[in-house]
Amino acid sequence: MAELTPKERVMRLLRKEPIDTMPFFSGMGMVVMPGIKKAGYNFPTIHTDPERMAMSAIWSARLMGFDCVVVPFDMTMESEAVGNQISLYENSEDILYPTIPKKIWATLDDVAIPEEMSTRGRLAFLPQVIAKIKKEAPELPIGCWQLGPFTQAGQMLELDLILKGVFKQKEKVVAVLDKLTDMIIDLGKFLQRSGCDYITLREPGVAADLLSPRTFREIIKPRLTRILDAWESPKLLHICGQTDPLIEMMNDCHADGLTVDIKNNIAESRKKLGKDVLLMGNVDTYPMTCDENTPKEKAIAHIQAIIDNGVDAVMPGCDLWPAIKEENMLACVETTHTYGAQPSPAVGRL
Amino acid sequence: MTTKQELFQQLSDGVVEYQEDQVKEAAQQVLDEGYDPLEAIMDGLAAGMVIVGDLYDRNEYFVPEVLMCADALYAGLDILRPHVPKDAAQVKGQVVIGTVQGDVHDIGKNLVKMMFDVGGFTVHDLGRDVPLESFVEEQMRTDSEIVAMSAMMTTTMMGMKKVIQMIKEKNPDVAIMLGGAPVTKDVADLFGADGYAESAGNAVTEGIKMIGRLRELRQKEKKA
Repeated sequence: MAELTPKERVMRLLRKEPIDTMPFFSGMGMVVMPGIKKAGYNFPTIHTDPERMAMSAIWSARLMGFDCVVVPFDMTMESEAVGNQISLYENSEDILYPTIPKKIWATLDDVAIPEEMSTRGRLAFLPQVIAKIKKEAPELPIGCWQLGPFTQAGQMLELDLILKGVFKQKEKVVAVLDKLTDMIIDLGKFLQRSGCDYITLREPGVAADLLSPRTFREIIKPRLTRILDAWESPKLLHICGQTDPLIEMMNDCHADGLTVDIKNNIAESRKKLGKDVLLMGNVDTYPMTCDENTPKEKAIAHIQAIIDNGVDAVMPGCDLWPAIKEENMLACVETTHTYGAQPSPAVGRL
Repeated sequence: MTTKQELFQQLSDGVVEYQEDQVKEAAQQVLDEGYDPLEAIMDGLAAGMVIVGDLYDRNEYFVPEVLMCADALYAGLDILRPHVPKDAAQVKGQVVIGTVQGDVHDIGKNLVKMMFDVGGFTVHDLGRDVPLESFVEEQMRTDSEIVAMSAMMTTTMMGMKKVIQMIKEKNPDVAIMLGGAPVTKDVADLFGADGYAESAGNAVTEGIKMIGRLRELRQKEKKA
């Protein structure tokens, strides 16, 4: 078996070219406490410093054997760049990601995306993070991501305003989503110009346990498609939550691959999509990779079942929770590499 | 004169069809005609919400619709509740509710809060992004029987485990209810919670079942 680097493995997989074995990678957060500690930092400080962000990502991948790094880690960069304050929880002993406690925009009419978003706030240092990772860890592919317009709207405005607005102020909601769609296209291109190797569009706020598939088809899907059409390949679409009723529409959004979480019935999705679509998922993150009471064997069986169900790559269904149970995390990665030696539905083997 | 049943039907329909104005008018008429406001809450507003829950279960309604129904329900509740005699409330329970620190999303929490409001509970709403200790302190201060916590993101749900441990150490009899998008039944069990609501929507279903049970109890009492 030819030995590929993680970057070769993932990049070939995303082009559906034969690979040595199945990668364990993600479009979502992959930073974990052992990596952050090895890099020598505290959790609240890795979101605001490019060096710390890069090294925490690299060490997380190296120690756990992940086939990628993913930056940034938190969902507030864009909201911060439009003028909102973030909470970093610097005095908390718990692992808390940055949040936007209060939003400056109170109504749908207030939304005005500033020019040159990529030069504002922490977004401006992402090229440094990417360059640092490329220099220090050329063997690792760099994944970057953007939230989809609906989910991003929830970071910039009160979520119930958007949700109710879908019915009560549809034209205004659509106008906001269009503004955000333009912003997301620009920022994705900026990340790609900066050297990210693959990009993921994450739109968890539209799963079928929140919004109707009809709303997805009418309001969400055209905008996801517009974004994905504007970005270069490789590009992935991720939706977590209930996606069984959406998976075929997701496949019409022009992504190179689809990623889903534990609520998706992968075997059924594979049947609906056929063999040629890159389908990735759906590790049940907390119980399998964090809970101290989950035996390693259970995590291994979980990964094997995911592969048997017909994924092309094993991917956590969401951000990994940083406080992992190392033994289980390592077992998940190793099982993916060994049990995934056989061809997957869409990708052959060398 | 509109009959009691007609008015209750208008309240119920107004909630289901998220017609705030219709609900307000019918609620005011209930008071003007001298009908029992608590009965109107339970057999009008709450009855409507039970139908909403059913529509949600059947994938006819989704979270946006439920939020609008909730607005309609509150429009009626705000008019009727001040006229419910204090000693007529069916449940004398108290609940502490909030979204854990690190999470600024509160849709699910607000829907569950509504269920407790309708049920006649005294609700101590801590809001969102609540430091973990505050749940414990508020429970102790109020001696509430229930603590309900929600987290919308995987990255914040871990805080709930800590709160459960802290509360159970001090007072093992407190019932703890968890909810939020990333919280699966397995996670709730692992964390040692007593109740679980799968998502904002599922919280609706669970809450509505609770209202349904309250209504049954009330009807039994009436017959007795």
